[in-house]
Amino acid sequence: MHKFKVTFYPDNKAVEVAQDTTILSAAISCGVYIKSDCGGDGVCGRCKVILKKGKVLTQPTGIIEAQERKHNIYLACLTTVHSDLEVEVPVESRMEMHSGFQGIYSASEEVESQEAVLGGKLFKHSPLATKLYLELPRPNLNDSLSDLDRLFRGIRKAQDLPVMQTGLSNIRQLGELLRDSDWKITVTLGKRNDTVEIVLVEPGDTSNKNFGFCFDIGTTTISGQLVDLNTKKISGTRITYNKQASFGADVITRIIYARQQEGMEKLHAAVTQTMNQIIKELTLEHSVDLNDVTCIVCTGNTTMIHLLLRVDPTYIRREPYVPTANFLPVLRASEAGIIINPRGLLSCVPGVSSYVGGDATSGVLSSGLYKERDLSILIDIGTNGEIALGNRDFLVACAASAGPAFEGSGVKCGMRASGGAIQKVKIKPGDFSLEFSTIADTRPTGICGSGYIDLIAAMLTAGVMDRSGKIKAVEHKRIRKGENGKEFVVVFKEDSGSGEDIVITEADIENIKRAKAAIYSASAVLIKHMDFKISDVKKIFIAGGFGTSLDINSAIKIGLLPDLERKRFFFIGNSALAGARQMLLSAEATRVSEELARKITYFELSVDAGYMDEYMAALFFPHTDLERFSSAAGRRS
Amino acid sequence: MALQLMAEKWSGEVSVVNIGATPQDKGTRSHILKIGGEKSLPCLFQEGPLPNKPQIVFEVWDILPLDWPDELTRGYKNVLGDPVKWAQMCVKEYKAQGICLRLQGAHQDFGNKSPEEEAQLVQKILESVRVPLIILGCGDEAKDNLLLPACSEAAKQERCLIGPATQDNYKTIVASVLADGHNIIAESPIDINIAKQLNVLISDMGLNLERIVMDPTIGALGYGLEYAYSIMERSRLAGLSGDKTLACPFICFVGQEAWRAKEAKVAPAEQGVIWETLTATALIQAGADLLVMRHPKAIEEVTKYVDNLFER
Repeated sequence: MHKFKVTFYPDNKAVEVAQDTTILSAAISCGVYIKSDCGGDGVCGRCKVILKKGKVLTQPTGIIEAQERKHNIYLACLTTVHSDLEVEVPVESRMEMHSGFQGIYSASEEVESQEAVLGGKLFKHSPLATKLYLELPRPNLNDSLSDLDRLFRGIRKAQDLPVMQTGLSNIRQLGELLRDSDWKITVTLGKRNDTVEIVLVEPGDTSNKNFGFCFDIGTTTISGQLVDLNTKKISGTRITYNKQASFGADVITRIIYARQQEGMEKLHAAVTQTMNQIIKELTLEHSVDLNDVTCIVCTGNTTMIHLLLRVDPTYIRREPYVPTANFLPVLRASEAGIIINPRGLLSCVPGVSSYVGGDATSGVLSSGLYKERDLSILIDIGTNGEIALGNRDFLVACAASAGPAFEGSGVKCGMRASGGAIQKVKIKPGDFSLEFSTIADTRPTGICGSGYIDLIAAMLTAGVMDRSGKIKAVEHKRIRKGENGKEFVVVFKEDSGSGEDIVITEADIENIKRAKAAIYSASAVLIKHMDFKISDVKKIFIAGGFGTSLDINSAIKIGLLPDLERKRFFFIGNSALAGARQMLLSAEATRVSEELARKITYFELSVDAGYMDEYMAALFFPHTDLERFSSAAGRRS
Repeated sequence: MALQLMAEKWSGEVSVVNIGATPQDKGTRSHILKIGGEKSLPCLFQEGPLPNKPQIVFEVWDILPLDWPDELTRGYKNVLGDPVKWAQMCVKEYKAQGICLRLQGAHQDFGNKSPEEEAQLVQKILESVRVPLIILGCGDEAKDNLLLPACSEAAKQERCLIGPATQDNYKTIVASVLADGHNIIAESPIDINIAKQLNVLISDMGLNLERIVMDPTIGALGYGLEYAYSIMERSRLAGLSGDKTLACPFICFVGQEAWRAKEAKVAPAEQGVIWETLTATALIQAGADLLVMRHPKAIEEVTKYVDNLFER
């Protein structure tokens, strides 16, 4: 079999692959990440690349237009390597990976940094892993306790701990280590479920350097935080797209992909690489030694956690939708391929069911929903959105698959909430003149989720489109026919940071309409199922990667959120990550999260007869039943 | 002790739509077809007033209808292909209370007549018969957008009922209906949500809900009648419960659907008439306010049925 070298630009990365390998898999194997919402099925058209040099074979597809073919544009997933190649990955096809998003994400970070967001008492500080400096008495003929027992005795003297254990490798090196360090050592104690383990014994005093990471592994984005376990301070946060997106935009495509040859290995490698990169960057930036990172807590939907631990997720998508595990024991991070201290611990937030995962549990934990006296709802707006309803007496949750539109994926000019993203838009009725603001006030390069919500609300108000999402057929320089139907130009290329027009297409509006309908109808059905009225809900916690830039009036105007008094809404940013951090910092939070995961009743929307009706009725701006949105409908008659 | 019936109290009512303008309203029609106004479910006279009988109008084509079976064409000897004579026959011989003119000939597959030609036909029909008129497009969206505005203008002041407007194609039609003082048919594909959304979209353009007649899309007996029945029932329940955007009367194209049924076309004579009659009566019980029918005998039977029902 021939092998050929494929070079990707602008990354300038090269890889040798066998003939007939697709350009997409060649790219993945050398760490060049190309968008591929459909996971390589050749239907989404996101993986367009430009062939600079070399011979390829490609399958015919309607997605590449004749004009594009002339310019040597191919779909990376349908095109195979037949000679040495030089391939250019255009900006639109590139998956944005790293660089500093700190500060840019400040809106939600403010919220995330708060200790136990609402509802009073904080959890007691007792991190998943603690460090303890000990000066052990030397053994002598009168005190001839073994080295290990001496260590245990020393620990017990300092702390009241019941059961202790340690691994063989620690014991093997213990004798020499104790004597070399003159009996002055630091032990790292980890909580592994109900027992305490001596994770690590180090010479000297390193007890002031104890760090941990918490991660929210989302279908579309992964956020990680470096936390000083001694001071509870957040050293830094990183947010990036999940590299698994190359294998499909939603969990179902990924579960199917996991069954392919080496599919599971690739998915696992993608998520661990993403996490390891975040760990590496943050530790470097804050001069933290990887050996001083002793533990990590991960939250995420059930599929993401399965893939992280390389557990087969197949049965999640098969009736009766049972995952392999909801509660996972504390593991060693290295077992999952996460690079921190080699003996460091990894804990996962317990999940509720196949489609309501640990992210929902940690959201309920950090929002304090479970302590509320009044009926409250937590709406986590993400690719796999979760909705939890309840108060201190009961908790029910359901999943609402909204797709990645609100995270800026699957929409033409979508991007994550980072610098250059349009987040607020105003359109003047009549002449359609437009004002907007971007995150970090830089030149606009795309539109983020909250930007789309604001934009669509503005388009409705100004009469650019009708309530079904069709752009009006009027003569205007901003309205034109694009490749896929009508589109509205938000920013002309002269003013954009990407050198291209920033537009919203009717297909984008349709995508957002479906996403908002999924979220709203799931909330409405859940509330109705529990025999409440929407107006009975006293507090609405909104979580997700929006930050405080999400305009509630706009969100209500498009029918994403129920039309209730504005003061009942609370933004809590990335509540899943905040919950994971609480677990990282407190054993009590861990215990509560386990209780919550057991207590939350999972409600399967697909078996509810009314869900489809609700969903169909919500496919309108704001809703087919305008009475429900009387303050937002603003009927023009 | 006498049995006390539990009567449902409804907060809403179906809007009244007037089709046709008499000289009093600056039109030239001999009478008005008044439909809607129900304050109770169909046939439940004891629960609330049902002030207006369901009305039946005759379907007339601008061209020779090719797929009509002999049983159906027999009653229109010598007039098929001449819409003016056909309409006159309906009124004179069969006492039609209204005419529904289907401009099929404007479709590119059926002669591709120009909008101007069809507009002239509308004028001629209005001159030769004095009953209220319903004008239907050819079913091709692009063509209807040229055709219906022309016809709407030709029939200005006559308060016709014009359609169909669909979710994907309503703006041009609504604009001309609004300008020329007509009513509109809002067609939805057996879907209560789309029916409602379309009514909202149309009223957002400034056309009152009181000028909308909904076509819920029906199926004939044996061809999905029960789906239509259930959608009509749900819409009517919502309308009577106070949802104004669903409180519009229904138009049902009974003739078109019934005569598509295999049983109507190839069976012994009379079966087609029975098919059309039964489809119509079932839909009246579902809440139909305006029925567009084809066979004179079926129309006669259904008229009797309606008179009987409302004789109290």
